[in-house]
Amino acid sequence: MERIVITGLGLTCAIGGSADECFDNALAGVVGIKEVVSVEHEKCYAHIGAEYPEFVTPKGEDRASALAIKAADEAIKDAKLDVAKEADRVGVILGSCVGGAVTIEKFYRDYTADPAKASGEDVLKMPISAIANNVAHRFGACGVIDNVANACAAGTMSVAMAADLIRSGKADAVIAGGSDPMSSLAYSGFHALHALDDEPCRPFNRSKGIALGEGAGILIVEGYEHAKKRGAKIYCEILGSGVSCDAHHITAPSPTGEGMQSAMERSLEHSGIAASDVDYINAHGTGTPLNDSSELGAMLRVFGTDGKVSASSTKSMVGHCLGAAGSVEAVFCVKAIERGIVPPTVGYTEEDEAAMREKAGEFDFVPNKGKARKVEYVQSNNYAFGGNNASIIYAKEDAPRKLTGDDGERVFITGIGVVSPMGNTVSAYAENVNAKAAPSICEKCGDAVSTVGADDFAGVGIKLNFYRKLDKLSQMTCVSGKLALADAGIEVTEENATKIGIIAGTSDGPQTDIANFQKGIIANGTQSGSAFLFPNTVYNAAPGYLSISAGVKGYNVTCSNGAASGLAAVGYSSRVLRTTQNDVILAVGADEDSDTVHMLYEKLGAFDAGMKLSDGAITLVLEKESSANKRGAKKYAEVLGSGSARSDVEFGKFGDGETLKKAIGIALEESGVTAEDIGLVMTCSNGVKSLAKAESEALIGFEGAEKVSVKDICGEGRAASSALEAAHAALMLSGKVGKTAATYALAISASAGGTFNAVVLKKA
Amino acid sequence: MDAKQREIADKIKKILVENLRLPEEDLTDDAKLFGDDIGLDSVDSLEIIAGIDQEFGVSMMGVDREHFQTIETLSKYVMDNLD
Repeated sequence: MERIVITGLGLTCAIGGSADECFDNALAGVVGIKEVVSVEHEKCYAHIGAEYPEFVTPKGEDRASALAIKAADEAIKDAKLDVAKEADRVGVILGSCVGGAVTIEKFYRDYTADPAKASGEDVLKMPISAIANNVAHRFGACGVIDNVANACAAGTMSVAMAADLIRSGKADAVIAGGSDPMSSLAYSGFHALHALDDEPCRPFNRSKGIALGEGAGILIVEGYEHAKKRGAKIYCEILGSGVSCDAHHITAPSPTGEGMQSAMERSLEHSGIAASDVDYINAHGTGTPLNDSSELGAMLRVFGTDGKVSASSTKSMVGHCLGAAGSVEAVFCVKAIERGIVPPTVGYTEEDEAAMREKAGEFDFVPNKGKARKVEYVQSNNYAFGGNNASIIYAKEDAPRKLTGDDGERVFITGIGVVSPMGNTVSAYAENVNAKAAPSICEKCGDAVSTVGADDFAGVGIKLNFYRKLDKLSQMTCVSGKLALADAGIEVTEENATKIGIIAGTSDGPQTDIANFQKGIIANGTQSGSAFLFPNTVYNAAPGYLSISAGVKGYNVTCSNGAASGLAAVGYSSRVLRTTQNDVILAVGADEDSDTVHMLYEKLGAFDAGMKLSDGAITLVLEKESSANKRGAKKYAEVLGSGSARSDVEFGKFGDGETLKKAIGIALEESGVTAEDIGLVMTCSNGVKSLAKAESEALIGFEGAEKVSVKDICGEGRAASSALEAAHAALMLSGKVGKTAATYALAISASAGGTFNAVVLKKA
Repeated sequence: MDAKQREIADKIKKILVENLRLPEEDLTDDAKLFGDDIGLDSVDSLEIIAGIDQEFGVSMMGVDREHFQTIETLSKYVMDNLD
């Protein structure tokens, strides 16, 4: 199996503008937490945060993308990687929590003053989707592009996903990491939850709350052979990773630390190393009482109290950089391996150290100053809203390991959950499609829209005191996911819960509650953010709520790269099933429509361009053959292969036919079939002329196949539509919808920013 | 409940309906907010504290749990602590 190495580093955060500057300052215990300058905080109880005002956002750019571009530039130069020369084999996978929050604030300030003043150009800077695409466009990367939107665990997940992509042969190098700016959205939200410390945070020590930070960490992740061949400098290797979900609470970690422990253990197991091998842990260590006590408990259970391992929270210096945190910390881990010295946790007095010994024995928190020691294996851990836990292992080049590889198992679709303008439940959808019924239409805006009501929740056993908290995106996702599990005949039990995961794709995330939250701050001040709405502003809230309501504790990742995100989730899920301990992944594609979302698309000029907006949530239960056979599951279809490629266009534009053809070619090759074998094509045109042109060019050679458009049936539901393509194809191949003689189906989808995805399904 | 407390209670009910997306018909004055009746949690209590602070200028941060039991107890606390 392909070895994965890191060949370049870039970092900007409160304590510096380069990887070396930040690491030197971290070793010296420099604290970057000061009075916040970019967010109004006069009436707040806390006034500090970890910003990097030395970096001024270039005019016309959003700060999240600008920070990522700055760090990526450093990393690419450091790696001496010629991105343009091998553009198709270079991907970009970046994590973020709040994405374009700085622009979101500007947009709604403009909008509040005068709706006409708010600009469509700003709308393009708001979604998390924009970040990886802007980085890809700046450096000309045209491989797999995606954004990981799992709030505070996103940075670690993106590096793990980059490594998995290269191992599966989908890329040679990936620009990976994360980026998040200081924002009123995050500051006000954590303030509302009373999670901010009014003094510099003291993780594992006083634990009174977090210091919010900002920054971007970028790593060039590369296949070992590829790096050797071009004579690149190798910093270290990436071994295995572990992802789990608490299924406990939308913001608070499970007090038992069980999910955190499981992520830590999975990363060790995946890497084939023992806990006693680990020399240094970069802990999540946010400084909140709940995180610190759960995490410390988990670390002590996994690593013991003998003080052999050193563990620190660098957040005590750089603050909590949210979606960038894992990537900032990854750079510190790599530097620690390179130099044989680990960064400290600052803020410990002698008195504190004595108190910590009471609590944790000889466990080494690396108080105040960096410490030279053997650093061969490093674990980096992050946890997030939604109960998401991620852990990854970095190791010195050639350090012994025994990684778990791809088990080569076949993957089947064994259940489908539908929330759509054509009805909820798979049977209602199939019936309505077969009867050529009309979709339900919003009387106010004319869009085809999904509706979820009390009956739907009752049907899947979700109670009012749970669903009242959910925004529409989460409501649709929870109902769709639970319907899919029921359709698959899967009952979640204590035994199988950790083997069932979720991979969710969304184009726009929870834009409605983001707008509601932001408008509240604009009207009443940063001190008055809504504690109720804030948890809903993160993109991974919807799958987080699903994990809680379904009780599933396996893999849990949310990706956001435009409308193709739902289909991308299907391809990603089959890779995860073959390389992790999960037996089942719920691949979800979901996007919501609302007054807010309709207005945003109007600002973009989407309706003039011919788009008919809609919404929904589609869940495909993807299951390993062994698991499906063991329980005698019905099989709708088999997932054979997937492909992705990007045209180098600006974010907001679609790519060309040649690129779509490339994505299709990759999927066909992986599936071992040719264009002539394909009897059914699920198309992705949505009324926009450039996309229709690209599609017709790319489908030359598929004249013999039946073409079906789910967007003709129920509108452009973005990630919901692209997931529905796979679901609809599976329904046709299994004879539930229409009549087709096809054995193989191809589903294609397109995202603004130039990415195309393709998936091949086979009749089961 | 006198007229003044009634007015406060109605405003609190409005906060609960608007900020916590609770169904108005379930919100009787004596419904147990954190118990089996309504089932609120700690995040909801922060929202109630913020809403009451903003509406009445009364801070309930750190106030004993018994005052949070029902709309009746909340409105009594607010009435007793109005400037």
